[in-house]
Amino acid sequence: MIRFSLHKKLKASTGDMQLDVECHIDQGKLVTLFGESGAGKTSILRMLAGLLMPEKGTIEVNNSVWLDTQKGINLKPQQRKTGYVFQDYALFPNMTVKENLEYALDKNQDIGIVKELIEIIELTDLQDRKPETLSGGQKQRIALARALVRQPQILMLDEPLSALDRAMRTKLQDYILHVHRKYNLTTILVSHEMSEIFKLSDEILVLENGTITRQGTPMDIFTNRHISGKFQFTGEILHIEKEDIIYIISVLIGNNLVKVVADQSEVQQFSIGEKVLVASKAFNPMIEKINH
Amino acid sequence: MVWGPIILTFKLALIVTFLLLLISIPLAYWLAFSRTRVKPVFETLVSMPLVLPPTVIGFYLLIAFSPAYPLGNFLNEVLGLQMVFTFEGLVMASVIYSLPFMVHPIQAGFRNLPASLTEASYVLGKSKTTTLFKVLLPNIKPSLLTGIVLAFAHTIGEFGVVLMIGGSIPNETKVASIAIYEEVEALNYGQANYYSLFLFIVTFVILLMVYLVNGGYLRRIWK
Amino acid sequence: MNTLRAEITSVKVHGNLSLVELHLEGTTLKSIVIETPATASYLKKGNTINVLFKETEVIIGKGKGQPISLRNILDCTITNIEKGVLLSKLSLKFKGHSIASIITTNAVEHLDLKKGEQITAMIKTNEIMLSD
Repeated sequence: MIRFSLHKKLKASTGDMQLDVECHIDQGKLVTLFGESGAGKTSILRMLAGLLMPEKGTIEVNNSVWLDTQKGINLKPQQRKTGYVFQDYALFPNMTVKENLEYALDKNQDIGIVKELIEIIELTDLQDRKPETLSGGQKQRIALARALVRQPQILMLDEPLSALDRAMRTKLQDYILHVHRKYNLTTILVSHEMSEIFKLSDEILVLENGTITRQGTPMDIFTNRHISGKFQFTGEILHIEKEDIIYIISVLIGNNLVKVVADQSEVQQFSIGEKVLVASKAFNPMIEKINH
Repeated sequence: MVWGPIILTFKLALIVTFLLLLISIPLAYWLAFSRTRVKPVFETLVSMPLVLPPTVIGFYLLIAFSPAYPLGNFLNEVLGLQMVFTFEGLVMASVIYSLPFMVHPIQAGFRNLPASLTEASYVLGKSKTTTLFKVLLPNIKPSLLTGIVLAFAHTIGEFGVVLMIGGSIPNETKVASIAIYEEVEALNYGQANYYSLFLFIVTFVILLMVYLVNGGYLRRIWK
Repeated sequence: MNTLRAEITSVKVHGNLSLVELHLEGTTLKSIVIETPATASYLKKGNTINVLFKETEVIIGKGKGQPISLRNILDCTITNIEKGVLLSKLSLKFKGHSIASIITTNAVEHLDLKKGEQITAMIKTNEIMLSD
């Protein structure tokens, strides 16, 4: 369980902004910080990691106090067990993939974890290469693995996938989910990408002008009504085409293109690129084994 | 050609460069990352040798090192160091005189590293010292090389400070630049030319190396 | 998507399934959903909620004859027929509410459907979604 209350005046490009957030996150949850750029998302991560000092606040992680400004408690970043994946990856250019991970080892820590993590991110073949020779997606995987070496209590990811193309993103989302579950992490993600949020998050914290305005499941936050269809996905409209008297809307859901039949009256309210909820009853879809 | 001044010059440059490296890494680190208000004062002081006539520095060092004044007295009485007209004094003066040439490239190197590298190291549980030696310094090798070479070359080339503080004592303070001056004064143009040509070639080669390395031509060899 | 608003008159729960009965203009509608009042707060007797079903799931019948398994039977008047090559769209009026049905043009011709005609629109219980 993570509980924090953070207060700080932030200097943003648009002027000063007061950040006032209070929140608790349950152990094992994957939580997304969602909000416009400059809303204070990265600042919250940095304060949790101990890289930024709030004017006033408390941070409590699994019953140990990391920060209490009134009592003068402030653990250094080194003393807080966090994993942080930076937006620019922050891999050490002078070290190979393996050395980057080994650097993160604590004194007397078993080196086995490095091998295990390199296998999980499937970079065994590239472990002796320097980061600069690798692709963005590979660097991101190394940054993720390196953040996990110390077996952190909180894993923080600052827009980890924003610089990657769609196919690479999907793959990395799978890695993130995999390690999140495998190591029973409490993960905090900063993201704008709707499909990513729906796929990864248990919970969303919506940050507006420095305060958390809503907290809930992606479905609670992003769909304005509850619908009983169990076969629900969110996607992006790629194409709308008239066929006979009906319309066929192509929707990209994750990596899959699906088609939905719609009536003219529905089509009028949609435009290409829009995010939509696709729902059907669980009674309709067929399910079949895939033969290899 | 008498080799004494040449050997003395390189001995001086080597010692000065080594001492400067030891002093400049912590100083440049502090200048690059500290947020204190007095920082501009120290930045100015470090940069002063760039603009002040060497004779001004030499003059004040001469005064300061004189046993008649507190610093010189302290060095003399407590440490037993005679600074005026000695090799030690020359080293000390050269360190001060060449300080910006070592500090500035290293400071710029630190500043140009993404802050996230340092932060990532801290979050991974590593101390400031470990971060400095394992992450920061290995990633500013070109800046270190520039600093080393510039400080070395600049020490070889100094004249005013040396003249003021060292005088011209053979094998003690008579470095190449002084020797050239004296040969010219004595109208020994041939000797002056030997020394000059030697310094010209050596400094040319050293500086060429810097540009080759930092321009990326020799990157593969250096890395 | 057809949307009607109806009042819940009963919720029968069995395991994770609920059979919801709704009331609209003297007609009873039924929907089966994989929700229970515990998982979906809107499943409460007396609540007026949205009843959603797709145009393509609306079956058209003419006259009343044999017993049928469909539980949602709406007496409608055809207000418009838009014929396409393969598919046709029927605009229907159910006691003042507009709904639509998309069936094959072939069926329209076979049943000889005409504007102003009285028909029954039917929807399978499992094709109706509910939302608040």
